[in-house]
Order: sequence, then structure tokens, then C-alpha cells
Amino acid sequence: MTDLLRRLLRTPQGAIGSALLVLLALLCLLGPELAPRDPEAIDFLGRFRPPGAQNWLGADQLGRDVLSRLMTGARSTIPLALLATLLGTLAGAVIGTLSAYLGGRWDEAIMRNVDAVMAIPGLLLALLLVSSLGKGSLNATLAIAIAFTPGMARVTRSVALNVRAQDYVKAALARGEHASFIVLREMLPNVVGPVVVETTIRVAFAVMLFATLSFLGLGAQPPAPEWGLMVAEARRFVHQAPWIILAPALAIGVTAIAFNLLGDGLRDALNPRDER
Amino acid sequence: MTAAPPASPVLAIENYSLDYTLRQGTARVLDGVNLSIGKGEVVGLVGESGSGKSSLAWAIMRHLPRNAVEASGRLSLGRLDLRGLDAKGLQAVRGKRIGMVFQDPSTALNPTLRLGEQVIEVLMRHRGLGRAEARDAAEAALAEVELRDPAALMRRYPHEASGGEKQRVVIATAFATAPELILFDEPTTALDVITGARILELFARLRERTGVAALYISHDLGLVSRVADRVSVLRQGRIVEEGAPEAVFLDPRHDYTRRLVAAVPRPHRRLVDDAAGGDTVLAADGLSVRYGRRRLFRPPPPPATKAVSLEVRAGEILGVVGESGSGKSSLARGLTGLAEFDGGIHATGRRLDHARKMDKAYRRAVQIVFQHPDSSLNPRMRIGDILARPLKLYGGALSDIPALLEQVRLPADYARKYPHQLSGGEKQRVAIARAFAARPSLVICDEITAALDVSVQAQVIEWLLALRRQHGTAYLFITHDLNLIRQIAHRIAVMQQGELVDLRDAAAIDAPDAHPYTRALIAASPAPVG
Repeated sequence: MTDLLRRLLRTPQGAIGSALLVLLALLCLLGPELAPRDPEAIDFLGRFRPPGAQNWLGADQLGRDVLSRLMTGARSTIPLALLATLLGTLAGAVIGTLSAYLGGRWDEAIMRNVDAVMAIPGLLLALLLVSSLGKGSLNATLAIAIAFTPGMARVTRSVALNVRAQDYVKAALARGEHASFIVLREMLPNVVGPVVVETTIRVAFAVMLFATLSFLGLGAQPPAPEWGLMVAEARRFVHQAPWIILAPALAIGVTAIAFNLLGDGLRDALNPRDER
Repeated sequence: MTAAPPASPVLAIENYSLDYTLRQGTARVLDGVNLSIGKGEVVGLVGESGSGKSSLAWAIMRHLPRNAVEASGRLSLGRLDLRGLDAKGLQAVRGKRIGMVFQDPSTALNPTLRLGEQVIEVLMRHRGLGRAEARDAAEAALAEVELRDPAALMRRYPHEASGGEKQRVVIATAFATAPELILFDEPTTALDVITGARILELFARLRERTGVAALYISHDLGLVSRVADRVSVLRQGRIVEEGAPEAVFLDPRHDYTRRLVAAVPRPHRRLVDDAAGGDTVLAADGLSVRYGRRRLFRPPPPPATKAVSLEVRAGEILGVVGESGSGKSSLARGLTGLAEFDGGIHATGRRLDHARKMDKAYRRAVQIVFQHPDSSLNPRMRIGDILARPLKLYGGALSDIPALLEQVRLPADYARKYPHQLSGGEKQRVAIARAFAARPSLVICDEITAALDVSVQAQVIEWLLALRRQHGTAYLFITHDLNLIRQIAHRIAVMQQGELVDLRDAAAIDAPDAHPYTRALIAASPAPVG
């Protein structure tokens, strides 16, 4: 593990991505304590106050401090998006690898079902699931995880098909290994590279999906300082006070970039062939 | 033929050195190479993988990777300095004055163009012919390489032609512009034994007719000594020995050449002198392997092997030879349960008629080693973990791992390494150690030395025989190298188009009553000089 970290930090992408993510993690842990003001304190005199000494990143339509809301909101945005992506990835990777391993009719059956689920747009599927499971952040997480699963299954299967044809899988079959060992120990570690990269891209999507669900009133509920919700609420005032929408949008962007950089770094670090 | 290079060589390489810049520093690939090819002369360049022989070919063709640095030396074609050429000058040389024939004809031809187009294009470009003239010239060129019905072949796509036909098209293209020099980079390695032998015969005739000079690159010293006028032996970028093939082969002066020559398999030098045991370890009873599902409204695909029956006795080495596509690997896949089969297998005192019936006892007793060591070891597992699997499955202590490595002459600390840190030969030894960890009574060796260099092959064979003496294991040894199998096998089975056409004692393989196909195989793999 320390070896992996060392290799990760040796690549520039890995180092920058990791540094950004450490900052974000600190924000998640300590954000509310460090926030200069109460994120939900309404100040009618300070509505749409531009960035300055009083509100470093300005104030929103209710005079709430944007910086404080941003810092507090990290906790309700990043961990849930991450959790949703990881759940979806794990389920998708196992299904995809299993499908490639089984092959033939089973592969056909599994992939056609995956296609059927993929035919429903992710947002619609998430909406459907949330409305049947009930409102709330945790249900939204679950819904996004399920919406991500088919896509991940497809990506993983295409990689796993190549792995399936390798002789070490045949050797394991000839040895009489159990299917679960072949899928989890022989094949899955060899599909990790592309899956990790895909996962890091999807974290950004997850943040946006959360925002959309919150905007539709199915995820985080106002006045919670969730980043997506902040973007959604600030939408109406974009001409009047662009800083209200810019700050959370930039935060989401930086998060996405951080995960992407980490993904690039991890891809190199996870490859034991890479002797750097 | 003594080595006396004519006065004005077609190609002269003088003190040529080439480096590759890598992250870790620079690596010297070619070091002070001197080589000259006279008019109408064929020079063989022999070297094992990593010796720099392909780098030299690409240096002559002026197609080096970006990180290549030419440290010193001259490359000249006649009076032309190849190193000083610009892009335009190169176009006039490549394909026109220097032709090249690659190892694998299936990747050397564009799969989306008809075969005729690919020859016509070269002729229009380099001989300045019009389309109609080029078409006639192409047809003549294809007739020249003894292709039947060239006009019909020109309308076909590469996938509609056999490997031998494709290689003939590539050769025709190379010869069509009447170049001064042709580079052959292992032109028969990707082909079957018999097809390869015919390509070599064709090369000899074309050479006589056109008087072209050629550089013939190969890892096979025996093969090169048959086609070349002079041989140069390349080792780690340095030419260690050169001379007439007979001299190099019969009286090698350099240590490395001596080792190379000793490693070439000779059919009459037996390496095994004991007899096989009496008990049958495994018997295949009308085994046929079939791929692909039966589909509605479509005839079932033909079986890859048709009702093969053979038995392997305790401690016996049974060779299986045949061309690619003859079903010998399918036989191995059927016997290990990797493919569905009809018929039966008798082993461990039972008759199995389906892959699902293979139990732990059978799996333990019958082990398989694959051709490519790169893909048969999981790149994400350490050697120790790889060897631990059969011990966990079939019983055995993990403390046996150092002893297993010791059996194949690998140090115990290799257990902590990953496969990519090992060389090809070392990886294959790990694969062999994994098979022996199960204490099997039969090991199926599926072309296990085909991907290895000759000297490594000789070592692997030696260790396999030592393991057999120690454990009394039987081998089902699948190979395309008849000379090799005649050295070690007790009996040899010959397969052709999925059928077992011949099965006889190795000593009687060249008897007059052998199957015609067996005799054709023997004729196509002549014993090396000496």
C-alpha cells in the first residue's frame, strides 16, 4: 500500500490530484468548524453583496455567506457522490467480469438486461428509484449507484473479455479453480486500470446528478448548503450576481478535475509493469 | 563458398552503433557493427531475441523509433549514404532500391485492400507505370512467385488467401521493383513447416533468376546456414562471429556460437534413453473437440479434432506434431476440460465423458503448460502466490515453494517477484514449476518452447527431462518442431486436419511405411548441417 502511494506521488498527475483531494478531504472534515460565518444566517441588508472584506466570496440572494456555505457543503456533497460511484462501480465491475467469464448464453442474457436498463436515461432511472424509495440523500445515493451500474458493467466486460482469453485464466480453469476465485482474484485485478479511470470520471457526474436530484427536490433539501443545490438556486440570479453560481460551480469543477488527475495517476501506479 | 566480399558491396555497414534513450538512461542496441553484402550475395544475420537484429533492419530502412540515437558509423547503399537522406530521398530508396519481407504476412498486408491493389500501387509508384501496365506487371510478378492463377488471386482480399499465398504476395511485391537489396526478417517463422520450406525453395529460385542481394535475418542458425552465403552472428548488438555457414556451424570459434550450435535440435541425437513404463496414465477414446454452439438452421461447425484415440503410458514422452490448425492444441484443450468434447477419457481409474466430470484427482494428475509464458502467469500476482494455488487446491505445504523454485533452478527470493520482472525463459520455468506443484502423472506441454530462443529451449528441455527422471512424469509434448521431438519422444503422433494420421515409435518415424504426410513433414524439416 505504501508502495502504491509512493508510485502514485511520483507522477505529476497523481501528486496534484492527491494534493487537491487531501484539501477537499480536510474541507469535508473541518469545513463547518473553519467556516467564518453561520452558513444559514440570513442577512437582508447584505443581499447580493459582491466579494469583499465582509464576505470573501460574496453573499447570495438571502445574504448568506457563500464561502461558509461552500465549506459546510463539502461534507454533504463529496462523500455521498463518492459513495454512490464506488457502489455503482463495484456492482458493475463484478457483473461485467462475471458476464465475460461465463460467456455464451449467460453473457448474452446478462448484457441484454444491462442494455435494457441502459436504455433508460440515468436521471430518469434515478428519479424513478428515488420516488419509489422515498426522498433523502441516502436513497439518492443508492439510486445513483444503481444508475451507474450498467455503464460500468459494459466497460468492465469489454476489458474482461480480453483477460478471459489469457492463458492464466485457462490455467486456472484447467486447475479446477472455483468460479468466484477466477472472477475475483484472477480476472478482476487485471481489469482494474480502465475501471479506475472510468470511476474517477463518474464521480463528477455523480456530483451533478446529486445536484439535479436536489434541484428537483428529491435529494438534499433547502436550505442545506449542498453544492449542486447552490448552483440550482443561484441559477436565477446569474446576471445579477454571477459569483453565487460561479463559486459552487468552480468547486464542483475542481473536485471533478482532482478525481480525474487521481485516476490518471492511479492508472500508472496500479500497473506493476511500470518501472518508474 | 569462402568469404571474400566483392569489391563494390551493395550494402556496406561500417562501425555502426545505435542507442535507445530510455528513462533509465541510454541502452546500446548495436555496437560497432560491420557488415557488407556484395552483389548477388545472401548474408544471414543470426541472433536471439534482444540481440538487435531487427533494429539493424530498421536502421537500414531508415525507420527508427523517436528515441533512437545513432552514435556512430556509416550505412551506404552502393555509393549512396543512407544516413544523409531526406524524406524525399528515402521515398526513392524504400521499396524501390531496398525491399523488405516481414515475419507475419497477415499483418504486412492491408486487410481492406485487394491483394492485386497492393502490388499495383507499389508498381505505379516505383516504376512509374500506368494503371493498365501496372496490372499486367503485377500479374507477371505474382506468376513469378509461382502462385497459381494470379489474376484470380489479385481480386481476393488478404483474409481470403492462405498464409503461404500472402507471404508469396509480399515477396512478389518486394521483387517487383527489381531492388538491389531485399531484407528478409524471419520470413518463414509465422508459417507452417511445409509452407515455410516451399517459401525457402522459392527464394532460392528467385535469387538465382534475379541475382538480388539479400540480408536474411533469423533466430534459426540451422535455417540460415541453408540459405546464406555468409553468416554473421549477432549477440547483444555486437557481431561475434562471421564466415561461411559450414565453417560457423561445424567449427564455431566464439563461445556463444558454440552454445547456439549445440542448442540446435538434431533428430538423431537422442536425449532420452530409457523406455516408458507399462501402465496407462491416460487414454483418449474417440475424443473429438468441437467449437461453437449448434445454431438453428445452420450446420454445426466441423470438429477441430475428429475421434482421436491414443494412450499415454507412465513416464512416457508422447510427441504430437502437425501444422497449425491440425487440431493438436484442441486435443490439449479437450484433455484439460477447456473445451467441450465427445468421446471419452480414461484416467485415474475412471472413464470421463464430459468436462464437468473432471474431479480434483483428474485435475491434479493432468497438468498443462501453455505456449506463451507472458500470458500464462497472472501479471498481478507474485510468483509465490502463483505457485501457492496448486498447493492450496491439491494439498501441499506453502513451505514447499522454495523447493519448487529450486527444481527449476530459480532462487527462492523469486517468490516475491512479479512475472514481468522475469525473462521469458524464467517465466516458462515458473509455469513448469506450477504444473509440478500438483505432483502430476501427466503434463501436457503445448508448444512450450516455441516462444523461446534456441539456447533457452535447450535448457528448458534439459530441465523437463531432469524433472521426469526425478518424478517419473509422462509428457504429452505438442510441437511443430519435428527435429526437437525426435530427440526426446518415445512415440510420435502426427495430426493433419483434425485427424490422427500416424502414431509410431520415434525411432521408426522415417520408416518407409510411414504416412505420406509424416514423410512430407520430415522432408520439410531437414536436419541441420553437421
